[in-house]
Amino acid sequence: MHWSELAIELTLMPLVAFVVGLAMVLMMRKIAARLQRRVGPPLLQPLYDIVKLYGKRTQTSHGMLHEIGIVMAVGGYVAAETLLPVPGMNGIAEKGGMITLLYLTMIPSLGLALGVGQCANPNGSIGISRALTAMLAYDIPLVIVIAGVAIHFGTTNLVDVIAQQQAGGIATWGAVQMPLLAIAGLFALQGMLGKQPFEIYVAPAEIATGPMVEMGGKFLGGLFVMQCFQLYTASVLYVTLFLGGGENWIAFLAKAFAVLVIPMSIAFLFPRYRTEDMITMLWKWPVVLGLIGLAFVGS
Amino acid sequence: MTDTEQFPVRVEQPDRNGGNIFSRVFDELTAFCRSRSLFILHYCTGCGAIELPPAMTSRFDMERLGISPMVSPRQADILLITGYVSVKTLKRVMLTYEQMGSPKYVIGICSCTVNGGMYWQSYATAKKLNDYMPVDLYIAGCMPRPEAVITGLRQLMDKIAAGEANGWEDYYRRYDYYLGHQQRLFGETWQTPTDVIAEARHYGLFGPETLGDHTRLLEQHQAPLEALEMQLGLGAPDEVKA
Ligand code: SF4
Repeated sequence: MHWSELAIELTLMPLVAFVVGLAMVLMMRKIAARLQRRVGPPLLQPLYDIVKLYGKRTQTSHGMLHEIGIVMAVGGYVAAETLLPVPGMNGIAEKGGMITLLYLTMIPSLGLALGVGQCANPNGSIGISRALTAMLAYDIPLVIVIAGVAIHFGTTNLVDVIAQQQAGGIATWGAVQMPLLAIAGLFALQGMLGKQPFEIYVAPAEIATGPMVEMGGKFLGGLFVMQCFQLYTASVLYVTLFLGGGENWIAFLAKAFAVLVIPMSIAFLFPRYRTEDMITMLWKWPVVLGLIGLAFVGS
Repeated sequence: MTDTEQFPVRVEQPDRNGGNIFSRVFDELTAFCRSRSLFILHYCTGCGAIELPPAMTSRFDMERLGISPMVSPRQADILLITGYVSVKTLKRVMLTYEQMGSPKYVIGICSCTVNGGMYWQSYATAKKLNDYMPVDLYIAGCMPRPEAVITGLRQLMDKIAAGEANGWEDYYRRYDYYLGHQQRLFGETWQTPTDVIAEARHYGLFGPETLGDHTRLLEQHQAPLEALEMQLGLGAPDEVKA
């Protein structure tokens, strides 16, 4: 591939992810509103929020790490998007693979931990320690799921995984071949998105949105952008592993949005667990399901 | 507290009349987005707070106007004071107000914030809220119905879109006036963690009335802020500061 083509893909992929992510945030808020019998926000609300936050006239910075933390949080996801193949664009997905992607999705949490640490707000510190604990909780099932998929398809290359599923049709989709792993993956997805019942680190009524408590203006704007990327990454990863990626953009977007409907509909119907309950829950059911699924993968 | 030395920030002043067409379009766009996305921090001290849940939930649904509740002052745009403020409460309100990022707006809900309402004769309540901080909008009533609250918020949105809701600038430009009223109520040693004068200088919002007799009084006793010492241990701390 010519380097200019690659450069275009590398810029386009995060941009597309951001725009789709905005729509996903809107969908999330709409679902919440419909479940609570409200009308919900207007069409461009996520965009208004971000423009407004970046347009604040005074910004309260708590120091260098505070700023770098946000850059890491957004940058980690921007880098992750270039490793996620979308229809027509592979970026550097062939060179990366699942394991690199898994590492990159952890960078935002670590960046946030750095930034929040400098804010020296007790709510923020509690929040970030809970966020890292949550990461520990959902990473175990996630790693099992990813290992299972890699063993099944005989590769960690996401482009190959998609190609194999698309060549064989629906019967070879990960979700059909490995239903147990797909269910375990849904648990991990819920944890990864940090939605109720696993919303332990945001918890607005308890620790005042945890990591976000000292973030205003451009910092909160950065986190809103990060949320768009987060929703996109989580759902596209699931679509790639279990639903055969996207043959074209319409099928791809339909699948990505459909996957997100599941965690979001669950989220707004449930309260949240305590931290230790979340760990017990995530280390028990999805791990057991995943391990049984893993046993069947080879056969 | 903002470390203004560490980060050289270029301050953008909006060009009200003039500037090139792109910057005008950009300013218009930002003003529109500001008016359509308002995060409220509700400081529910008085009885008026009871009218907010219906305004937020399914009956009247504020979110369709882009208004959603937020939980920390750093994230919020609107400070909603819902009812009477006692002297003790007002201190907290001031701390909260100064921590919010500008542009910020204050809405006083209930007659008690306008002129003391039925607590006019009480020794313990602050009467007029706009003596202590610039108030962008009052919604009078004892207590105002959710319809009135929504109407008030819509008026504020129109004001913001037109670029007229600039009460927050007034706090910087006439800090001496507001500080004077605060000192009258809280005593001469009143000091908040936010250095308003330094911020006014930094953001180019310094006015002729930023400094005055009252700020001179403040400077006499102003103690520099120090980070709290982190302590680990079991049991009660030896000394709990009020
Ligand atoms: S105006 Fe009436 S309802 Fe509102 S705080 Fe005062 S007494 Fe309560």
